[in-house]
Amino acid sequence: MEQEIVWNAFHNVYWGTQISVYFWIVGASAGSFVISSLGWVFGIKKYKPVSLFASNASIGLLMIVPIVLIADLGQPWRFFHLINWGFWHYSSPMAWGAFLILSYPVSMMVYSWFIYRKNETLARIIGLISVLLAVSTHWYTGIVMELNPNRELNHTAMAPLIFLTGAFISGIGFLIILLVIRNHFLEPAKRIGKDFILGLGKMMGFGVLFDAWLIYCESVQMLYGNEEEYTTLTEVLFGVFQGPYLWMEILCSLALPLILIFSRLGKNVWAIVAAAILVDIGVFGMRIWWVKAGQFLQTFY
Amino acid sequence: MTKVRHYGLQNPTSFGVKGKRRYAMVVDLTRCTGCMECSLACKAEFDTPLGVMRTWVKVIERGQFPNVQRRFIPRFCNHCDNPPCVRACPVQATFKHEDGYVLQRYNRCIGCRTCMIACPYNARHLLPADRSNPHDPTRVADKCTFCVHRVERGLAPACVAACTANALIFGDINDPDSEVAKLVGLFPTDTIKKDLGTRPQVYYIGLEDMDNVESYHHRSAQMKKEFNTFKRNYPNSHFMHGDMLEEEQED
Repeated sequence: MEQEIVWNAFHNVYWGTQISVYFWIVGASAGSFVISSLGWVFGIKKYKPVSLFASNASIGLLMIVPIVLIADLGQPWRFFHLINWGFWHYSSPMAWGAFLILSYPVSMMVYSWFIYRKNETLARIIGLISVLLAVSTHWYTGIVMELNPNRELNHTAMAPLIFLTGAFISGIGFLIILLVIRNHFLEPAKRIGKDFILGLGKMMGFGVLFDAWLIYCESVQMLYGNEEEYTTLTEVLFGVFQGPYLWMEILCSLALPLILIFSRLGKNVWAIVAAAILVDIGVFGMRIWWVKAGQFLQTFY
Repeated sequence: MTKVRHYGLQNPTSFGVKGKRRYAMVVDLTRCTGCMECSLACKAEFDTPLGVMRTWVKVIERGQFPNVQRRFIPRFCNHCDNPPCVRACPVQATFKHEDGYVLQRYNRCIGCRTCMIACPYNARHLLPADRSNPHDPTRVADKCTFCVHRVERGLAPACVAACTANALIFGDINDPDSEVAKLVGLFPTDTIKKDLGTRPQVYYIGLEDMDNVESYHHRSAQMKKEFNTFKRNYPNSHFMHGDMLEEEQED
């Protein structure tokens, strides 16, 4: 039957760009830290030279998080309510997240200190704890939005996995960019070799492949999903979120990097750097459409 | 009766528990004339700022001439028995009262908006920084309270007292002699988005297909225009779909 909504109250997209930025930062930090842990925690020797640098880069990124998150609060000075034990609410993912965000950088700092002191045993133990915290910190960002059954797009058990895969590839991309910049300031003998960068690029490439598969699964689910999921899919493909989804996520972080990494160009460091930049832009696009498109339809409800 | 999920709630549901009160509302849509008096009374009672609403009336036109009808759906917080907003709040600023209300502690709320993300009914809003009364709370989440301050003094909620058509009926659903209990028992009632398992306690008589996506697909040109005006008045809101609405308007 033909019908028209003549009047309704208007509502906002409550979580906006700042939350997307926060998701990107935490993800890139977690991904970068996983690379750091490969050397000292999982014993792969070729990653040891970058472990300290990657860990410090993760800490540096995480330093921005409190600024972004606290500034986004309606009452920024009440941020300490989150760590007040009397107010703590066990059923809220965000209450857990507050403790993860606080403990994760501290743990990484201790890990960096033990690497600096070359204490293998303690670096491995603290590193392992930090890896678990890194994964949990990013896992929870997916869960924060996943546990809302009313947001059809976000309410999928794949959400944390999609977030984590995005984190992994954006973290490697971020690290590749930093390593190449760092090489310019080092003596030739101390520089990170071309093979290492290409290896990181390959690893990122496989991550991108896995991410592409996850996004494909999610998109197919939306295609065959209920009305809200299908409308969201049409919005991300042809509507308002075409920019973040189609051009940033699909083109920048999936299609172009795969071509750059797995073609002949993949043997060129600058092609890998270009792929890394594209992946970081694309993963940021994914954070934007995931956060906003999930809330978008219900602003009209 | 199926089991209600209590985890994460400060008080278990009092619905159907003998000796306890459970306040609920019945909205008789067959009586509603769309006068918006409920919205006005609410605005007056709480000095609700411009741009946000605790109570509003959704207006829908259906059918093709000459078989047309205009429907009005008053909307409030549903004071759910299984409220996702309460469960999601990280600091327990919003809580479940033993009489069934879902209430807000303004001095504890940090304004993270997690409850608004969790609420399926858009029943929550963030209070703006500028209020006409400087003593009113700012930049924290707010919602309908079922006028708990009035009900505890033996008065009806402001919207119920103001309703010109007696379409809003409020009372203790646990009391079998209350009008609310009788209406819910006698008439076929429905709740909004009941499939989500939130167990809303605002019952509608005459509610049909309240699909949320319908709102998106069937917005009138007037509503799009008003929406753009709203956006212009709130430049800091997180909208990124302005262009689309502008384009749509030209169709």
